[in-house]
Amino acid sequence: MEGASYQRFPKIKIRELKDDYAKFELRDTDASMANALRRVMIAEVPTIAIDLVEIEVNSSVLNDEFIAHRLGLIPLTSERAMSMRFSRDCDACDGDGQCEFCSVEFHLRAKCMSDQTLDVTSNDLYSSDHTVVPVNFTDSAGYDSSEQRGIIIVKLRRGQELRLRAIARKGIGKDHAKWSPAATVTFMYEPEIHINEDMMDTLTLEEKQSFVESSPTRVFDIDPNTQQVVVVDPEAYTYDDEVLKKAEAMGKPGLVEIYAKEDSFIFTVESTGAIKASQMVLNAIDILKQKLDAVRLSEDTVEADDQFGELGAHMRGG
Amino acid sequence: MEKISPKQIGAAIENLLKTGRLVTQTGLDLQQRAGFTVQAERLNYLRFISFFRSVHRGASFAGLRTTSVRKLLPESWGFLCPVHTPDGEPCGLLNHMTCTCRITSYYNSQGIIRDFFKIRMSILNVLVGVGMTTSWPKVDHDGPPQALPVLLDGVIGSLSTSEADKVVAHLRNLKVSDSSVIPDDLEVGYVPLSLGGTYPGLYLFTSPSRFIRPVRNISIPSSDEKDIELIGPFEQVFMEIKCPDGGDGGRSTTFPATHEELLPTAMLSVVANLTPWSDHNQSPRNMYQCQMAKQTMAFSLQALHSRADQKLYHLQTPQTPIVRTKTYTKYCLDNYPSGTNAIVAVLAYTGYDMEDAMILNKSSVERGMCHGQIYQTETIDLCEGKSKSDRGQRIFKREHSDKAISSFVDSDGLPYIGQVIHGGEPYCSTINQVTNAKRTYSRKGSEMAIVDYVSVDTKNKNHLQKVNIRFRHPRNPVIGDKFSSRHGQKGVCSQLWPDIDMPFSGVTGMRPDLIINPHAFPSRMTIAMLLESVAAKGGSLHGKFVDATPFSDSVKGADGKTQESESLVDELGSMLRARGFNYHGVEVLYSGVYGTELTCEIFIGPVYYQRLRHMVSDKYQVRATGQVDQITRQPIKGRKRGGGIRFGEMERDSMLAHGAAYLLHDRLHTCSDYHIADVCSLCGSILTTAIVQPQKRAVREIGGLPPARAPKKVMCHACQTSKGMETVAMPYVFRYLAAELAAMNIKMTLQLSSGAGA
Repeated sequence: MEGASYQRFPKIKIRELKDDYAKFELRDTDASMANALRRVMIAEVPTIAIDLVEIEVNSSVLNDEFIAHRLGLIPLTSERAMSMRFSRDCDACDGDGQCEFCSVEFHLRAKCMSDQTLDVTSNDLYSSDHTVVPVNFTDSAGYDSSEQRGIIIVKLRRGQELRLRAIARKGIGKDHAKWSPAATVTFMYEPEIHINEDMMDTLTLEEKQSFVESSPTRVFDIDPNTQQVVVVDPEAYTYDDEVLKKAEAMGKPGLVEIYAKEDSFIFTVESTGAIKASQMVLNAIDILKQKLDAVRLSEDTVEADDQFGELGAHMRGG
Repeated sequence: MEKISPKQIGAAIENLLKTGRLVTQTGLDLQQRAGFTVQAERLNYLRFISFFRSVHRGASFAGLRTTSVRKLLPESWGFLCPVHTPDGEPCGLLNHMTCTCRITSYYNSQGIIRDFFKIRMSILNVLVGVGMTTSWPKVDHDGPPQALPVLLDGVIGSLSTSEADKVVAHLRNLKVSDSSVIPDDLEVGYVPLSLGGTYPGLYLFTSPSRFIRPVRNISIPSSDEKDIELIGPFEQVFMEIKCPDGGDGGRSTTFPATHEELLPTAMLSVVANLTPWSDHNQSPRNMYQCQMAKQTMAFSLQALHSRADQKLYHLQTPQTPIVRTKTYTKYCLDNYPSGTNAIVAVLAYTGYDMEDAMILNKSSVERGMCHGQIYQTETIDLCEGKSKSDRGQRIFKREHSDKAISSFVDSDGLPYIGQVIHGGEPYCSTINQVTNAKRTYSRKGSEMAIVDYVSVDTKNKNHLQKVNIRFRHPRNPVIGDKFSSRHGQKGVCSQLWPDIDMPFSGVTGMRPDLIINPHAFPSRMTIAMLLESVAAKGGSLHGKFVDATPFSDSVKGADGKTQESESLVDELGSMLRARGFNYHGVEVLYSGVYGTELTCEIFIGPVYYQRLRHMVSDKYQVRATGQVDQITRQPIKGRKRGGGIRFGEMERDSMLAHGAAYLLHDRLHTCSDYHIADVCSLCGSILTTAIVQPQKRAVREIGGLPPARAPKKVMCHACQTSKGMETVAMPYVFRYLAAELAAMNIKMTLQLSSGAGA
């Protein structure tokens, strides 16, 4: 393995998949790849978020910027995002962000007429495009779905009014965190746990018990039948070395040996709801490929620079 | 006295309240003339209430060389907070009352003025009842040791010494009891007989404006809160008060404790009481925290939208602290929250957290962490015109024809609400109805502001005379802004790293909001900050607030609970363990840049962070070229006027030490008051040279070329010739020096020569 480069074929095995949650194994690759995937998912998978707000009337207690900021942070369903254009390179509208290729318009009109406090929520946002709407959390979560509860933007009392127009655009998390589709993306190295059975047998049951309990997470357990220490969940191990320290303290170094497999990772992906977690992974891989293509292209086009001129340099840079 | 009209007195008092200065010829035998009032700033709630609980010893003591006035003496223990005093010059002179300390008042609890004569008479009756003999003129009295003088607000009587203990106990009993014979804030200063001690006697005070604080009188059989006695500083020194930790405090059995402190935290001020587990911190850190809590950008008030304060700092997204003391709940400080529970990782990451710098998570900031605004109000009062004739003629208006300012100012002369106004742009316009002269008010400086609100004075029905225009300055965190935890650990934001570059936890995927350097801890010994981190982590995992009242273990002991209970660290650690986290609050983190495991386990957890009001946007100073001083032609100073920062002697020395002579020349001369002077080499003067106006003669125009400029001709007035004229580069102040010297009849001559060293 030392120094020798060889082609590997990374494999993905999906363990669990929900709309906003995914857990999968990534094998036969190394940390740089895994981390690149993580970073792309957080910062470079595009979504749509409100970017421009034109406030017509705002007599609420919150100031204009605050409301604009809150609107920006509302996740919008962004399946369209990959096929949309960035408003800065939209040819159709010269980048003023007001055309169907690069933007979606929202309207919000709310006025409190009663003595009861009116909650202005993301449900009050009217979209010009039915595919881009504020994420609805009620159906997926098992809560009381009879009440449509959106994300609260502001609360109004009698006589207060909020009227605005907002333009949502495509963007990436690198520019602003509101465009990040990921709530959390994390990975861990798959642990390999070996129990030295001979040494373990020398322990009394109490010692085994205290050994098992030394880990804050439930990695080991005692088999009720054979009274042997078994590994129940190796992935619960957090690399905190607590069991190793315990073994040392019991005077039995080498009781367990734990290695991190250098080439397999367990990913946990949580989405904000803007795009499905599975889609987020696929998009991230797409984007990673595009990035690599740009590198490959740069090699090809250096010689052809006089032919392509600025375009080649642009492609390499992009 | 007759000469002074009541109106004058009113004006003088008003002036005193406004400026804090006494205008007097005699000095009134007061030790200071200024500083009698301070303005209660509403920077945040804690600062505001601290103004009403602070006690200043007097400006005259500030200059004193001795430190004795600054010490916390036994009589002020429990009345003045030992922690809440600034460090440095006013240390120990500007004190704050403890949270239990009160001041006796002229008014009773119903707000009615108390009849002190009646109170004294009823006390006198009680005293006579227990055997005090009132003093009559020309009657011989026994002095101590047989009899004890009794002074009730200065009225003298005497009492048999043997009776004294019983009388004092009786008085204290009456003080506590409901009967209104004796007011509950009576100070019973009993100075017992002693050798070489204070002159013995029974000194009773009923007067207002005294410090009092509650303690428990344990000599009275306890019956639901009926044993709380209010004591004063004078009597405290001669009383036996037990601390609630259960020990006897080194007290001998001959003087058993008669009183007991209510709470160990009663000796701290409100602000000092808010520091979680302050008993685990090095004491100066708690003092720093008291200062910094008062400079925090927070919720200063609730009715922000209808206020017209000069300057208001406002935190947009505050949170309630997870780890809090009982005082926090008691004073309902959730109404005025002052910080954010930031996830703090303690590690050296990228080196941008050296020397008390801290790295903020850019994505967290983008999601709203520590966002804030400054509200600033400009008042425009047309009645305040300098000339009387001008008064009443000006109105707020913009002429319809005035297109230049129509995008900023509405036709009523006032700005549009929500309008963004950059530096130098107008926001208000007035017109003189008689002369038709218009005046526009423009924003000073280069900073952008947003018009938040315009309020008008409607007292004058005819037309508007006074308006308040409130501006809003956005102040979201940027590099250079100051933050602090609640443990005197302040730091400056040095970098805003994006989420992906921050280290992350493999288990939870959490990225810290903030990174601080581990070197912030060993020398400062703020253990409570570490405890707070662990406790807040446990608290958030269990979904509950954690009580961090200092000295709470000593209270438990008094309750009779077993003191064998686990230590604080054990308690917090097991909370973490129960949720599968490390007992010590550390976690395995992975580098956000490489994805590899960091070598060490990282201490990470939520810590309540305050945003301090010192922000770069209000302080940065930079200049390339700009205004210069009239006399010296050197750059002016002052941030407001666009001046530079002085490149002083020490900076000059450092340049010289580096051998950067050319740079020095550039800074001190070329970029400053570079001047080319004409010098007469014949008489050596630079002052007598003058430009001679060339005679007007028709310059023949050569086709296509611009008219040739006549060469500048300079001549010396003293020598009446222009023969020896030379140009020399010199600082302009040199010419100024020559002029100043000439004014003193000193002639300065320059000897010119060409070539170096000649």
